[in-house]
Formats: sequence, structure tokens, C-alpha cells
Amino acid sequence: MKPQGIKVLQLMSSRINKYLIISLQIGFLFGFYLVGGYLQKTLALPVPGSVVGMLILLIGLYLKWIPIQWISQGASALLNHLPLLFVPVTVGIMQHLDFFSGKSLWLVPIVLVSTWIVMGATGLLGQFLANRKEWDR
Amino acid sequence: MMLLQMFFWLFITLLLYVVFRRLYQLLPYPFMIPVLTCTVVLVVVLTSFDVSYDTYFSGGQWIDALLGPAIVALAFPLYKQRKLLNKFKVEIFATVVTASLLGILSGYWLAVVSGYNEMIVSTIISKNVTTPVAMEVASMTGGQPAFAVIFVMIAGIGGAVTGPWLFQLLGISNFLGIGMAFGGASHAIGTAKALEYGEREAAISSIGLSLCALCVSLLGPLLLKWIS
Repeated sequence: MKPQGIKVLQLMSSRINKYLIISLQIGFLFGFYLVGGYLQKTLALPVPGSVVGMLILLIGLYLKWIPIQWISQGASALLNHLPLLFVPVTVGIMQHLDFFSGKSLWLVPIVLVSTWIVMGATGLLGQFLANRKEWDR
Repeated sequence: MMLLQMFFWLFITLLLYVVFRRLYQLLPYPFMIPVLTCTVVLVVVLTSFDVSYDTYFSGGQWIDALLGPAIVALAFPLYKQRKLLNKFKVEIFATVVTASLLGILSGYWLAVVSGYNEMIVSTIISKNVTTPVAMEVASMTGGQPAFAVIFVMIAGIGGAVTGPWLFQLLGISNFLGIGMAFGGASHAIGTAKALEYGEREAAISSIGLSLCALCVSLLGPLLLKWIS
């Protein structure tokens, strides 16, 4: 009875520990986001603050200033649920539903066709170049 | 009351995500991706119950706040795949420039041929990059940032949904092709889809989305000036 109770407690504490670590690491990543946003504003950079933050973190990881263990669990948790994080913004389309009536509606196929052109050409070129590299070796 | 509404919409969003993620695992069709299904259900529910987007977003903002750190977190697959990225740096550069140029030029050409005005043309050229950059390019070139958001969403969700079919049709199965196609054409939503394919595709897609954002923000306004 007693060992089992201890086991459950240990399991619970390791669970809580895991979530605590994930939360702390997400907080750490949030710091990079804030720094990136600040730099983007003050230096008027042409890329968004989140991308600036990503590049800073990447440099930090490269130079071994930041051990990968400091972010790995938080980063994996966020990336596993990346689709969820887009939902609140994409729901914003409800404010523009009138866009999908009348002449503007034709812009939907235009955007799609342009997207397919980019996807198809980039995909074929990327595949061709990568395969060529493999053959050369 | 406000607090209750906030928690309610936050809870509903999380609940829908959990349900539709499970459903997507059971029925893994491209059009079942949770971004699309959750968005459609929420838009239908909110409009039919006459709930404003602001009311919804009071709850949704707590999820939205994690989007920035999540983009930062893309450094993690990039770092893990650093050898791969280093090996293919020339190929990555070539495909990034191709994707950016084609995105700008095809959007421009299709909109001009269809007879749209300058405002729409200036907005449509940046649809393949992540929302903040597209909005920025739109406002820099005399476009409409609110429309930029719509175009970016169509390119993102449309690309993530139809990508797998397009790849099958064209016989694209290589990680560099798939990763760069998703990152270059459908930015972060495409990258979320690329994560399903594997870590190499995700790393290429993340580098593609960041470099294309940079490339389009520099090339977009320039090209628009030259060709018009």
C-alpha cells in the first residue's frame, strides 16, 4: 500500500515537474520574442520581431551560449501544437466575410493559383537541386 | 461576465482543437487540418450567435500570445538540422529567391490581367509570406493591410490543404522540395503542415519562411516600382 502511494506521488511530481519545465522554457522563448520585437522596432528591420527572436536564439544555440536543454521541451510543446496557435488569428476572417461576395471573390482563385505556381515550381526546383547534389557525391 | 466570456471562448477553442486534432488523426485528409476545421466551426458559431470577433479574441488572445514564442521555437529544428542546412545552403538560397520572385510576379501578373486596381495588386504580391511582413509590405506599397491578412490566410490554408495533392501530381517527394514549397508558398501554416512530414522538411520550411519573408520585404517594393 505504502510503496504504491509513494509511486503515485513520484509519478505526479514528475508530471508536475515536466509541465513546470515546459512553462519556464516557453517563458524563456517569450523573452526572445520580446527582444526580437524590440530590436525590430528600434532598428526598423524589415522582418517581424518573432523571426528576429528566432535568429537570435539560433545564434545563441550555435555559439553554445544557450544549451539546447534550456529550450528543447518548451519548443517541442509549442511546435507540436502550432496549428492551434493560428486559430485565434484566422477566425478574424469573420470580420471580412463581405469580402467573399462580389468582385473580390475572384481574388480567392487568383491567390490559390499563384500559391500553386510558387509551390509547384519551388518544389520541383528544390527536388531537382537536392537530387543533383546526391548524384554528384 | 467579461471574465466568464474570456474563459468560455478560450475553453471552446481548446476543446475544438482537441476534438478536431483527434478527428484529423482518424481521418487524415488534407482538408481536415485542425486550423481549417476549427476556424470554420468557430466562424459559423460566432456569426450565428452574433458574437463579435473582439469578444471572441478576449479569450483567443491567450492562445495568440504563444504564436510569437512558437515562431522563435522554430530555431530548435533549425539547430538540430544545422548540418543539413549547411550542406544545402546554395540550394536553399536558389529556391528561396525563386519562391519569392514567383510569388511576387505571379500575384502581380494574375491580378493585373484580371483587371484589379493598384491597391489590390500591391497587396497581393506579398501573400506568400508571414502576416506581419505581408501587412508591412502592403502598407509600404500603397496596399491594404486588412486585405493582406486575408490573402495570407488563403495562401497559407490553401497551400497546406492542397500541397499534398500538388506534390503527388508533380511527383515531388524530396525533403528540400516539400519543405521549401510549404515554407515559401504557405509561410508558417505551411510549416505547421511540413512538421507532419518530418524534421528535415520542417527545418527547410522554417528557413524558407524566414528567408522568404526577408526576401519579399526587400524585393516586393522594389519590383513593384520597376514593373509598374
